[in-house]
Amino acid sequence: MKLEIKNLTKAFGGIKAMDDVSLTFPSGSLSAVIGPNGAGKSTFFNLISGAFPADSGEVLLEGQDVLRLSKAERMRRGIGRAFQVASCFPTMTVAENLMATVTAHVGQWGNISRRFPPPGVRERAEEVMELVGLNKVSNVEAAILSHGDQKLLDIAIALALEPKVLLLDEPTAGMGPDERWRMIERVRGLWERGKLTLVFIEHDMDIVFQIASTIRVLCYGRVLAEGTPAEIRNNPAVIEAYLGAEHSGEAA
Amino acid sequence: MKAHPAWRDAVIAAIAVIVVLAIPLFHRSPAFEDFVIRLSAMALFATSLNLLVGNTGMVSFGHGMFYGLGAYAFALTMQMTDLSLPVAAVLAVLFTTFAALCVGAICVRLSTDYFAFITLAVQMLFFSIIISWQSLTGGDQGLRGGIPRREIFGFELASQLHLYQFCTVVAVLGLLALRHITTSPFGQTLRMIRDNENRVSFLGVVLWQARLRAFTIAGAFAGLGGVLAALFVSGAYPELADWPNSGQAIFAVMLGGINSFLGPVLGAMILLALNDVVTRFTEYYGLVLGIVILAFAVGLRRGVLDFLRLAWPGRAR
Amino acid sequence: MDLTALGVCLTTSACVVTQATSGLIVGMLLFLVAAGVTLIFGVLKIVNFAHGTFYMLGGYVAYTTLNVTDSYALAVLSGTLATALFGVLFERFLISRVYGSNVLMQLLVCYAVVLIFDDVVKIVWGPEFHAMGMPPAFQVPPLFIAGGVVPPFYIALIGITALIAIVLSLGLSMTRIGKTVRAAAINPQMVSALGVNTTLLFAIVFAVGGGLAGLAGALAAPVRSLSPGMGFSVLIESFIVTVIGGMGSIAGALVAALLIGLVRGFGTIGFPQFTDGLIYIMMIIILLLRPQGLFGRRS
Repeated sequence: MKLEIKNLTKAFGGIKAMDDVSLTFPSGSLSAVIGPNGAGKSTFFNLISGAFPADSGEVLLEGQDVLRLSKAERMRRGIGRAFQVASCFPTMTVAENLMATVTAHVGQWGNISRRFPPPGVRERAEEVMELVGLNKVSNVEAAILSHGDQKLLDIAIALALEPKVLLLDEPTAGMGPDERWRMIERVRGLWERGKLTLVFIEHDMDIVFQIASTIRVLCYGRVLAEGTPAEIRNNPAVIEAYLGAEHSGEAA
Repeated sequence: MKAHPAWRDAVIAAIAVIVVLAIPLFHRSPAFEDFVIRLSAMALFATSLNLLVGNTGMVSFGHGMFYGLGAYAFALTMQMTDLSLPVAAVLAVLFTTFAALCVGAICVRLSTDYFAFITLAVQMLFFSIIISWQSLTGGDQGLRGGIPRREIFGFELASQLHLYQFCTVVAVLGLLALRHITTSPFGQTLRMIRDNENRVSFLGVVLWQARLRAFTIAGAFAGLGGVLAALFVSGAYPELADWPNSGQAIFAVMLGGINSFLGPVLGAMILLALNDVVTRFTEYYGLVLGIVILAFAVGLRRGVLDFLRLAWPGRAR
Repeated sequence: MDLTALGVCLTTSACVVTQATSGLIVGMLLFLVAAGVTLIFGVLKIVNFAHGTFYMLGGYVAYTTLNVTDSYALAVLSGTLATALFGVLFERFLISRVYGSNVLMQLLVCYAVVLIFDDVVKIVWGPEFHAMGMPPAFQVPPLFIAGGVVPPFYIALIGITALIAIVLSLGLSMTRIGKTVRAAAINPQMVSALGVNTTLLFAIVFAVGGGLAGLAGALAAPVRSLSPGMGFSVLIESFIVTVIGGMGSIAGALVAALLIGLVRGFGTIGFPQFTDGLIYIMMIIILLLRPQGLFGRRS
């Protein structure tokens, strides 16, 4: 599904966190959103997914504006997201996390007439666990999963909702170098298999340039640049505002 | 949570009923029978509170309101009409359910701390209405005149044995129903809300609806507990709806364990037994109870059943 | 409900003066208790359900001191200091053990202390009601202000409590420790990051909060009777004040306490049976319309 953002604007008490941002993510694309800290990347995701309301603009999903819809309704229309800090249900096992998510997704969350899980839900949850590779830890409580597995579970919860557009807020945050690559390969695999429109926020430039087909650069709530990795790499404004500082920082 | 088949709970409940009902066949003890009657009311009260506190993470300080309301609604219906006992009980529970729905509708949108305070305020308002509406409720003297004892299905609830049997069956059925709810998809939704309400709101769960439903169900079962309490005291007293009574229920829940379904029942049992034993030896019940609470809160830091489950992991809940 | 009586009272200066004075006293004493609740909540984010016990102990200690020494000033002083000490001990040995754990655990610890000390008071002072009686210096004929009867002790009470309110707000805005307390109420992490000794800070907050409650109990003793369990209604009211005024706001506590005092003062005329109910309704309305309270910041 094509995700199109038009003139998206949001101010927090006078400070424009998102200032007239317009971006298009073609159906089935794999794009990265980068930008220095405080550039508004997470705000961008929060506005698209409906975590908080935008001041103005449009979020078009296959041409339909979803900006006025509730976050749950946006999920139903196909916008899935995972969070920067893994967001799952800590006292429940991996399988329960996913079964409960699927249960909610099929509209059975308020059902008191039968036992949990409703029929068909377990199978669907197992598919998703297989997909992200969590089947070995299906009976482990989420709270005691490794950090990487918690991030995977967060993504799995998003996948269980059968998204068409998937927003991943720093899927590799807090991981070591090896783990990062494993994670990002997995994300790429999901994208290839799922015919998803996948957008991810990432700090690690090597990863971004390696796997993203297009890159969008945000800075102070505005779009600074967009293009292929090669174009971004050579864009003077990006180098000036972002890469220079970041690269020298990372080299240290 | 292991997915046990539904019949397992039903079997446990049936065994519990048979055992409790069989005891008087071998040995009649008025003190024990009183204890079970009081426990049946308290167990429903505490377990229904735990649906909010333990399952959903909603800390209500005003749950006693629905306990008291159930008792008053039932006692008044019995006194003012000729309806049979089961009909009056059902009406009382329905009335309490409706009241919980109304109170919940204004309370559940508030966040944690404020939710606790507003439930407390509503309960205290209800309490002062009981106190001031003397012509209906008897004010601070409580509802006197007793509950007319009408025979049902050959049962005569003026007989202690029959009351004992009735309360046991009602309480176990009530607990079974609550158990069914906590193991249903809705029960799992409540757990999700407790764990991570932000994430839940992305999954299509309408938070306030789920909370309101939990609040209403909890109110209904507290009301059922109140009906049993009214039968035991043969009337209704404002204390049933007072703050310390809510405090007792909270303590029963915490003492038994908020993460175990039967925790609140065990907590209620310990609390009642403590009350019976301690008051036999000293008039300073509060002193002893306070010390027990401190030892538990500072020492154990979790409920008894939760503590045991941690000590022996892998046991059923 | 007796609205005609209320109407008559509101148009009679004597009645207005009498009810307003008693309302002010209720309000100011309530403020002293609620200031401690709101201070403790502001800094430690703990709802101190044992605060009514502090109030009760202040009253009883003052009662005994007066009986022994015949000095009301000493009685008030000892009541205040004893509860301040009690507050510190309570914080150090009990509440500090449940910091960061479930709110219900904190509630339970407080509940336990309430139960224990209600019985301790029964053991030490007996279960019956005690009347402290008016201090000798105030056993003089009442004043008549605009036709209303006002005992001189009431005026002294209002004066003392107002003075304390001023000292408290000056202390919070001018002194170093006061500024730390206010900063901690806004951002606890920042304060500990700045290297403030939080252990000491928390103890001081409990000493001040407890002392204020004890002071209120001691000041109220001549006009109210003492009984075990007397702390409870004060506790509930000070919560209402805290919620209405805004959790953590001293100014809010003052306004809300006076509001409740006046509702009580005049409510006893118009709604003798339902004054409590009126106050709960006020609280519910505030919570629904402005959950952060009149003076609270939205979190």
